[in-house]
Formats: sequence, structure tokens, C-alpha cells
Amino acid sequence: MTTLLLVVLGVFAGMVGALSGTGGGIILAPMLALYFGLPIQQAIGTSLIAVITTSAASSSVHLQRHTADIRLGMTLELATALGAAVTAYLVGYINRTALEILFATFLLYGAFTILRKGGKTEDAQDEIIPAPSGDEAAFPPYEPKRYPLGMAASLVAGGLSGLLGIGGGPIKVPVMYLFMGVPLIVATATSNLMMGVTAAASAFVYYRRGDILPSVAAPLVVGVFVGSLTGARLAPRVHHKWVALLLVTIMLYLSVHMFAHIVGKFL
Amino acid sequence: MSEKREPGFDRALALVLSIGAYAGFFVMAGGVVAHLLVDGIIAARLELAGVLILLATPVVRVFAAMILFFRERDRRYGWISAGVLLILLLGSVFGVGER
Repeated sequence: MTTLLLVVLGVFAGMVGALSGTGGGIILAPMLALYFGLPIQQAIGTSLIAVITTSAASSSVHLQRHTADIRLGMTLELATALGAAVTAYLVGYINRTALEILFATFLLYGAFTILRKGGKTEDAQDEIIPAPSGDEAAFPPYEPKRYPLGMAASLVAGGLSGLLGIGGGPIKVPVMYLFMGVPLIVATATSNLMMGVTAAASAFVYYRRGDILPSVAAPLVVGVFVGSLTGARLAPRVHHKWVALLLVTIMLYLSVHMFAHIVGKFL
Repeated sequence: MSEKREPGFDRALALVLSIGAYAGFFVMAGGVVAHLLVDGIIAARLELAGVLILLATPVVRVFAAMILFFRERDRRYGWISAGVLLILLLGSVFGVGER
């Protein structure tokens, strides 16, 4: 029964992720912790496997369309992977409640960030100019600038990824787009590509610590895979704003629930 | 530098990623089905195999990119890939963070 529920959770998170462009990792770990009774460390470790799956599946498509910049991605991965490995290591020494407080705070922050942007998550769809030939998307030529800044932001994004089991797209995409002069579609595709390596860098540490549960990861991955494929297909027909609103609602709810859960431990 | 796109290069890495994702998915789906039907050692083995396939996928992608960069005599990015590979191996091979 639990296995089937995990598949359903995966389908849901994968669909919301694909429709909102946020990866969906942010809601997986808290749901595993709150509704499936996993210690937060194991919830985070297990959700990293789902992040790797989403990244691999989606960036294989981006690479075929030549929208992901492998050189830029690889350079920034030096920082994201390092940040992720370091925080994943530290998680082993962080108090469980402290980690829960951190997670609940981040959920709250994330929800308000999406709200402030008027329900807009990262959305590269607007910028795709249909190329006259084939499925190759066209974008203006560019040369990434301000590498030191990009590396610093990537270190932070990687650190958050290792700490919370998320992809870190909401940090990397704006930095590449606004500060490094990379077109939004390339920034999104490259961020997606980087997520896999970043998540793997921390996932190995979680795995060695026994914080990845294969019996939970398997149904989750099966669901996320199906969910994100369905979501990607539905995307053109679904109003972006409603998905963002749904995501914000879930994030706020999870944040409140997690805070209540923490407070409950002290009463 | 970044406008340079080698279609073959991107395709090779896309292939690595999709093989990893699909293999991980199907092995795990097998695990889930086994779990629902018999719930024994086979299910656990398949689920673990799926996790390991997915963990290995990004590593193989970075390794493949490193080989391709060095073959194109793009040493700079070859070494950058080697650096990323080293960081990935910190946790997996050297067991940093293990208790």
C-alpha cells in the first residue's frame, strides 16, 4: 500500500515539477518526512535520487536540442558539486530538529519568492523562438561573463542542494541569466544538466551513510518519471499561474505542518 | 567559446543520460512490481540496482565528457571535467562522510 502511495506521490511531484519548472524536489523531502515517517535525513537523501532522474531525463532532451551549454555547466559544476558534497557531509552532524527548522524556513521563503514574482517560476518557454529547421531552438550568440560570481552562486546552490535534497534551479537560473549574460533557455537547460551531477555529489555521501532507502526511492522514481513526462506533455495546455499557485499552496502547507511538527516535539 | 556546439558531443552525452534514466526507471519499475507481488530479496535487489544505476549516471556523463574534451584537445575543459569527477568520487570511492 505504501509503495503505491509513493508512486502516486512521485507522479504528483513529477507533474507539478514539470509544469512549474521547479523540479518538484522541494515538496518531495518534506512529504516523505511528514507523511511517510522518514527521518528528515533519509527523506532528503531519497529525494536526491528523484532529482537525478528528473535531471537525466530532461537534460537528455535539452542536449539533443543543443540548448544545454556543457562547457559552462561543467565549469559551474566544480562549485555546485563541491558545495553539495560538503553540506551533505555536514548533514551527518546536524541535529535533526535543526534540519527540519531549516527546511520549513526554506519552504516558506521559496513560497514567498514565487508569490512575489507574481506566480512566475523559472519559465523558459516564452523565450523559445521556433527555428525554421528541425526541432533546434534558436537563441542569440552569447559569451558567459562574470565567472567568479557564477561560481560563488553555484557554490551556494550546490550547498543548498546537498542540505535540502533539491535541484537549486531557482538560484542558478537567475544568476546565469541576469548576471552571466546567458539566454534564459540555455540557463534553464544548463541548470537542469548540472542538477544531476550536483545531486549525485551529495547522494553518494548520503548513500554511504545509509540515508538513501531503495525501497522508497524505487516507487518514487517510477512515479516521478511518469509524472514529469505527463507534465511536460500537458504543459502547453495548462495555465502556468494555476500550477504556481498550487505549488505555493503546497509549500506553505508543508512549511506550516513542519513547524507544527517541530513545536509538537517540545510540548 | 560557449557558442561552439558540437552536435556529436551533445548527442553522445544525451545518449548516456537517457540510457541511465531509462535503465534506472525500468529496473526500479521491476523492483516495484516484484515488491507488490512477492516482496522478497528480488525486489530489494532490483530497487538497489536502480538506485546504483541512477547514482552512476551523472558520473558516467562527466567521465564521457572528459574523454571527449581530451580527444578534441580541449585540455582546459578536460581538466575541469576531471576535477568534477574527482569531487564526485570523494563521496563514492573514498567514502567521505561514512560512519
